[in-house]
Amino acid sequence: MKCIISISFSITFCISVSLAHEGADKHHVYVGARVCATCHQTENMGHQFSKWLASKHAGAYAVLANPEARKIADLSGIPREPQEAPMCLGCHATGAHAEDWEKDSTFHVEDGVQCEKCHGPGSEYMDAAVMTDRDAAVKAGLMIPKMPDCLGCHQVKGSHVAVHKLPMLDMEKAWRDIAHPTAGSGSHETMPPIPDSAAKSGKPQYVGVYVCSACHRGPEFGYQFSKWRMSRHAVAYAALTTPEAYEIAKKQGVKTSPQASEACLKCHTTVFTNPAGGALDSYSPYEGVGCEACHGAGSNYIPQAIMTDPRAAEASGLRQVTRQTCLQCHENAHGKTFDFDKALATISHPTTPAKAAEAPLYKTPLNMALSPNAEELYVACEASHTVIVVDVRNRRIIAEIQAGHHPTDVTFSPDGATAYVSNRLDDSVSVIDVPSRKVVQTIPVGDEPHGVLTDASGRRLYVLNTSADSISVIDTTTLKEIKRLSASRSPWSLSRSPDNSLIYVTNNLSRFVEFRTPSMSEITVIDAERTAVDSRFVVRAANLLQGVDWHPSGDFALVTLNRTKNLVPMTRLLQGWTITNGLAIVWRDGRVDQVLLDEPNMCFPDPADVAITPDGRLALVTSSGSDRVAVVDIPKLLSILQAASEEERLNVLPNHLGKPTEFVITHIPTKNSPRGVLITPDGKTAFVANALDDSLTVIDLNALEAIATIDLEGSKTITNVRYGELLFHSGDDTYNRQFSCHSCHPDGHIDGLTYDIQPDGIGFSPVDNRTLRGILDTAPFKWEGTNPSLQRQCGPRLAVFFSRIQPFTPEELAALDNYICTIPRPPNRYRPLGAELTEAQRRGKKMFERTTANDGRIIEKGNRCVTCHFPPLYTDRLRHNIGTKLWLDEESEFDTPHLNNIYDSAPYLHNGIAQTLEEIWTRYNPDDQHGVTNDMTKDQLNDLIEYIKTL
Amino acid sequence: MKHLTSNVIILILLSLSSFCRAGDSTGASPALLSVPAPAAQKLPYVYTEWRHFTTEDGLPNDHIFAVKADSQRVWVGTENGLACIDKTTGKIRSWQEKDGLPWRVVSALDVNAKTGELWLGLFGGGLARFTGGRFDHWHQLNSGLVNDVVYGVAIENDNVWAATTAGASRYNTVTGEWTIYTEKNAPMEEIWNYGVSYNDGKVYLGIWGSGVLEFDVATESWKDYLDPDGEMEIDLYRDDGIVHVITTGVSFVEDVLWVSSYFGMCRYDGRHWRGFYAHETGLPSDFGNAVKARSATEAWFATDKGISVLADFSSDTWVTYTMDPNTHRGKAVVSQGKKVLEIVDMPRAIPHNYALWTEFDGNDVWVGTSKGLANAAGIGYYKGLKSRARHAATGREAKAAKSDGHETQEPPKRSG
Repeated sequence: MKCIISISFSITFCISVSLAHEGADKHHVYVGARVCATCHQTENMGHQFSKWLASKHAGAYAVLANPEARKIADLSGIPREPQEAPMCLGCHATGAHAEDWEKDSTFHVEDGVQCEKCHGPGSEYMDAAVMTDRDAAVKAGLMIPKMPDCLGCHQVKGSHVAVHKLPMLDMEKAWRDIAHPTAGSGSHETMPPIPDSAAKSGKPQYVGVYVCSACHRGPEFGYQFSKWRMSRHAVAYAALTTPEAYEIAKKQGVKTSPQASEACLKCHTTVFTNPAGGALDSYSPYEGVGCEACHGAGSNYIPQAIMTDPRAAEASGLRQVTRQTCLQCHENAHGKTFDFDKALATISHPTTPAKAAEAPLYKTPLNMALSPNAEELYVACEASHTVIVVDVRNRRIIAEIQAGHHPTDVTFSPDGATAYVSNRLDDSVSVIDVPSRKVVQTIPVGDEPHGVLTDASGRRLYVLNTSADSISVIDTTTLKEIKRLSASRSPWSLSRSPDNSLIYVTNNLSRFVEFRTPSMSEITVIDAERTAVDSRFVVRAANLLQGVDWHPSGDFALVTLNRTKNLVPMTRLLQGWTITNGLAIVWRDGRVDQVLLDEPNMCFPDPADVAITPDGRLALVTSSGSDRVAVVDIPKLLSILQAASEEERLNVLPNHLGKPTEFVITHIPTKNSPRGVLITPDGKTAFVANALDDSLTVIDLNALEAIATIDLEGSKTITNVRYGELLFHSGDDTYNRQFSCHSCHPDGHIDGLTYDIQPDGIGFSPVDNRTLRGILDTAPFKWEGTNPSLQRQCGPRLAVFFSRIQPFTPEELAALDNYICTIPRPPNRYRPLGAELTEAQRRGKKMFERTTANDGRIIEKGNRCVTCHFPPLYTDRLRHNIGTKLWLDEESEFDTPHLNNIYDSAPYLHNGIAQTLEEIWTRYNPDDQHGVTNDMTKDQLNDLIEYIKTL
Repeated sequence: MKHLTSNVIILILLSLSSFCRAGDSTGASPALLSVPAPAAQKLPYVYTEWRHFTTEDGLPNDHIFAVKADSQRVWVGTENGLACIDKTTGKIRSWQEKDGLPWRVVSALDVNAKTGELWLGLFGGGLARFTGGRFDHWHQLNSGLVNDVVYGVAIENDNVWAATTAGASRYNTVTGEWTIYTEKNAPMEEIWNYGVSYNDGKVYLGIWGSGVLEFDVATESWKDYLDPDGEMEIDLYRDDGIVHVITTGVSFVEDVLWVSSYFGMCRYDGRHWRGFYAHETGLPSDFGNAVKARSATEAWFATDKGISVLADFSSDTWVTYTMDPNTHRGKAVVSQGKKVLEIVDMPRAIPHNYALWTEFDGNDVWVGTSKGLANAAGIGYYKGLKSRARHAATGREAKAAKSDGHETQEPPKRSG
């Protein structure tokens, strides 16, 4: 028995005892279920370990290898292997959010939901002397969970229900099922000693399943470990504790408990079946019938170099499995018949798993760039992660270049030799060598790069880091970032003035403004000579500044915008007064005029991009929400401005729904969700990227009509998710097509505004707009937490308060919700997958999980950060009163928001009153109702925030 | 500590007020008042062309706490606003709270040379960035800044350092991370940070009661420089270390560290310390408000009794600029130690003897005082010493120099 306790366990044990003795500051470390088994396995302990081993908890990690898990991950916008995703492992494994050093070598994530998932990391309480004193054990970190604690993982999750169709877990029954009381009486017998390896030196030794799983667990090996773990072989040892096992043992004259009987262990463990040369410390008989039971003791063949050479592996002891291998134990076992072929099929674990049906592949073209010789059009395609090259003359695809994830914008160097593509999900720019059409380098930039453009010389490349509110300046010779300029919020796209001296940058989100005051958006002006910000022009009461193009005169640029009336109730929709859509005329001296593109009965939702003809006569503006391009007569527009008084230019024209008919010549229909628009240098043709149609519309600028559609060859199958995406981006389902879901949740994220939604008076119950990224399993929805599902949120509620027309049909609603659930959450920028925490983050984690305040008083459980914000979603999905109710609010309890990627969705709290994470506690937690934080020193609060940003 | 801090702040402000005097311009002729030129001698450069800027010229306030030259612009931090002097047009533009400046007292300034962003330390208001006409504001409630009483600001790569009354903060402008340095994680015996500067991979903090701390950016490690004489206000053993733990300014140039304190100044070349006191150098006072080094051998000290320049370290040659409180005329005293080599009378030098800041602008120099800003034109400036005609003091000036504590030196007699 002694030999199965690993050396590392002994070391951990010694260290923990030593630290306990010295009273040193202890850090709790996960030791793994097998260490618990040291005491909790015998009959008098109620075979607690075996009970766990045979439970679903023990197989929780393994089930993530099932195709259903992949489906759930896809549905939840988790773009990675479930067995590697912290979001999945948070409930399917133990210590998923602990760092490697917080796990002893005896701990294996493959053991799924182990003892320490519920009882806390065991290093400090595992000593028998501590464990036999309940109070001491609790003081040392032993957690005694109650039934509600299980809800952290076992609350209803929409994603799981959608795939498994399982009813809600009966918690009472589940609690009974996993009950594992100590027996109090019974045998103390333990397992007989493992056959001594020293006596059989020279023979291969058993290494255990975890050594095999180091290679044989991922999809590239057909999830072989997980397949075994889900088989009955894996619970063969645990099965010896069942009444049935006792009965069989009794019949066979076994005098001891089955787990103490070599006769039973012979076929219920690996090492007793064929002792071979004994076992290494990595082996444990608790694994039951492991890989080596059939394939032979592995110590000689486990090196990768041998395993990849079949002959060498065989020579080193790797056995081929034959009928005889199985019959050794299964022939007439306990009177059961054995069908070898059927059994073999059951435990089959080929390296290559059955190929799953491929999902339709879409392109989702967003933006384009024309080569300087005007011969090729490069199209950044978000969904296919590619840049499609279109021959302009023949209007057909001539190449498709793999870029990074979510290409968003593309631009050429002035000499046309290089193209640069922003990869929004990867935080990088792909550098494409145009002649060879290959990505030759990838440049790391800031969070979620969007617009890209070079200066006139081509020596500097500007990259807009949408989620970092900054602009990376790249030296195109060294392909290195040389500086980072400060933008406003969410810089989106950019345009160079005709004299090449200035670059205008649009910002998608408004600056932070005083609570309940109108938006104030910014055009950031870069001096191209100095590569520095020259000035910042304010566009008042507007947001979602996206497309921009300079007029060839160099006097002004046109910018697309929304004018969102978030300070008045949404019920004003009927007066055409919720979101209006238009253009800003941004003059060189900083003056900004605004006009609308909406007309009284037909709005122009989601203006996305603008392009001006080389003669300066026309501007083309895309409306992704109404699938049209508006053609603006620029001289007419300018004459209207010139004829207007200052007062009219300031206060009337920006809101005048009647004016667009005077300067909008026509609307040209496109395909679904037009985004980028581009005009050829000869002024004859325009191209429009139809994001959700995987096509380009070609417009003849003389005739002002669409003359062709270039198919970018995306899948023609419209999945339910894609259908939902179409609905999300369409204004068809709001009164007069005023806006779409995308208008307030651009690309599924935030618009940074606080809305007055309900007709309870102007300014009452204002609520912050929350991101839709990764929200599927965070029900209930709405800050008051009154909508139990997305269907409810997007269905009747949406019709009542938002769209004011017929609600979505059930089919539409299902598709829409399906799409919303799949909006992916980008990778966390503050803790890349697998990265260790920084020192500050580590200290912050301690603050997040602390149970005592700085003065030593115990923090009540309900007032600890981790109580309401526990992993993996970091929300308990309940409502709490955290003292943030204002006189404007009807409610005092609000939904607990999840904290994943919380850093990219400011402002915070239910009413968006906190502009930064710091303000949540420095300003809006005066009475410690939102966690005990007022005792924290400034550096402790900084650490806490650094940690929160990693979640 | 907070109580102490606020009391000291009040004292400083009161002392500033008491030093303020109306009027800064004498209207006198700009010609040098000097005796006939004696024989050529190796002498330092003396700034004789001075211009003054006050509220009358468009500054928002005459209490000048910080100056930063930025190409054709000069930024000025005052007790009630920020100003920018456009050297090309001569125009002054200013910003006060009504114009979006987040806090009235601008106590420190630095410019990020890469991005052109101006960073402001706000005395009681935290930290601000001014770029493209927009002020961004960080303070202890909305950010990780350790304290809002900011005395000094320095740009170090992509980081901004703030010397505050409760420790130093380092803000990474790319990642947004704030790091606080106090007694918990730095050898900071006191946490009242007065000055901060960055150069050549090293950040230096001048700390009230904790001497100077050096932060090596590459290794992120600290080194402290404390007064071997402890907190005694006399220098028991000279040149054995920093002159006093109450330091106010630090400047690191050409591998030489210069320090100002309220009890004298000092210089450290990495091996040897050298202390400077008013009783044996050209310094008009041991009460140093700031120091700015131009090289390993030249440093400017802003004191409560004028600006003193150690113009050539090796020969201990000083040039001290003061204003005559009665006539408002300016005077430069050139000395070797206490021996006066030359006294130059001029229509104007600094606008007030309570000097708070100096800034180099090519060969020109800017000086912030409690009664306006001064700009000295460095036409023909040269480093160190050079043979040139010496301007001997008149009898009146020599007397004045003696009354200042300087020893006058007779002009060498002409040979043959």
